[in-house]
Amino acid sequence: MTEQAIGTSIPLSTAPKPSPLAARMSGTFAPRLIAGLAILLLWEFVVRAFAPAYVAKPTTVIMAIPRVIVDPAFQVATGVTLAAVAEGLAVALLFGTIIGLLMGRSPMFERAIRHYVNGFYAVPMIVVLPLFSLWFGYSGATRIATIIFAAIFSIIINVADGARSVPREYLEVARSFRSNRLSVLIGIVLPASLPYLLAGFRLAAGRALIGAVVAEFFISVGGLGYYILFNSRTYHHNEAFVGVLLLAGFGVGFELLVNWSTRHFMPWYRRGDKS
Amino acid sequence: MQTSIRRHAPFWISIFAGIALWEIAGRSTSAAFMVPFSETLVRLWQLVTTGEFIAQFFDSAELFLTGFVLALAVGMPLGLLLARVRVLRIGIEPYIMTLYATPMVALIPFILSMMGFGFAPKVLVVFLFAVFPVLYNTVEGARSIKPELIEVAKSFRSNEWSLWREVLLPYTLPYSMTGVRQAIGRALVGMIAAEFFLSSTGLGQLIMSASQNFDTGGVFASILVIGLIGVGLMRLGLKIEQHFARWRQ
Repeated sequence: MTEQAIGTSIPLSTAPKPSPLAARMSGTFAPRLIAGLAILLLWEFVVRAFAPAYVAKPTTVIMAIPRVIVDPAFQVATGVTLAAVAEGLAVALLFGTIIGLLMGRSPMFERAIRHYVNGFYAVPMIVVLPLFSLWFGYSGATRIATIIFAAIFSIIINVADGARSVPREYLEVARSFRSNRLSVLIGIVLPASLPYLLAGFRLAAGRALIGAVVAEFFISVGGLGYYILFNSRTYHHNEAFVGVLLLAGFGVGFELLVNWSTRHFMPWYRRGDKS
Repeated sequence: MQTSIRRHAPFWISIFAGIALWEIAGRSTSAAFMVPFSETLVRLWQLVTTGEFIAQFFDSAELFLTGFVLALAVGMPLGLLLARVRVLRIGIEPYIMTLYATPMVALIPFILSMMGFGFAPKVLVVFLFAVFPVLYNTVEGARSIKPELIEVAKSFRSNEWSLWREVLLPYTLPYSMTGVRQAIGRALVGMIAAEFFLSSTGLGQLIMSASQNFDTGGVFASILVIGLIGVGLMRLGLKIEQHFARWRQ
């Protein structure tokens, strides 16, 4: 208990905790609610006044939500896209971590591939689509490849950063206990660079989501992106917008999940921790 | 001289090794699949000499610059306003964060069906890709200003102008520049996405028509050029960010 309290600076008594939180909530909640309502009202008003009837507006989107989420086509599309993103991210995470660790710890390897990693990271991922569709055909394989391409480089860069910044004392201790290189890599370097890995993963998840949607637009393979494309082409904007809301939800959800797990599982790591 | 060679040697070795690998891979697979580096260069030269490439490049550059400058012109002042008016910032912060995390590509079909195929919808796409990183990071900077600083400035009766000059700008601009760097990258993606999915123009069209004609050399040539542009712009963004990072305490 005391150990945890020192490490995480969690107050020992939980009693005074709710009151500042409640105060903060009331301080931020009202402006946020008002701003949110204002944005929705403005949107509703502008669309009603100036846009054709099929254009999505808050009231019609809300009415479309119950209809869309029970629609099997929507559920299948969401499942397919999420499965592809998960699969691509898993591959990118595995290989990205391995390459990143090697890059961070081996100067030779780092020099050999650094420019390629940075270069491919800077290439707008969308330009590889025509090439990937030539290579992998108009199928789910192109989508997976795009997701991996979109995700892997930010993971490599971040893991390499993390592996490079492992405190030297850790490595010296390991060396004096004669541990071999592999166990140093897995036992010390990997855990020490976990926060960087998570930061890279957060970036990668957002990029993977974009990659999946763009690939579905481009090769018209079934999924959430294609659902949005198809419905907006057939002037079902409200239905399509529910898909966009879901994508936004995933984007924000990933962000919050990674922030939360960094705080929860790695409380010693507080980069840019601001109120 | 000696040290400069030693410093740059690994870079050139790795670049030449990459090119050699590309050349070998291209020669040992079918031409529809991959084209060696030498042929890519030849194809690129053809595209340049026919003038096709230059015209498309300027088309893309116009789109990129219009959208990006608009994003700066809206994002920076709005972000700074949010830095000054605390209630406003607290109010719309979560929505900016949400839009920052939303994949903007998903909005392209809507823009297409509402605005059609002109120049304006494409600018809107680039703008939407670029504006939220600027806003998000400027607001992040605004949050880093301690309220005490503004209070102290006020109790010394500093006027609005010096408050901006001494407190708000120095604190928020370095963060905004992080946003500018991210926005450059995103605007480039937005540019290509707009050229792919809205009316086909520019470098996006160059790739599209090459891939539709199974002109793998053309695809590789365009990707190489766009990749190099991406790397160049990323470097520029980093330079800008580092220049302003000195202000960060």
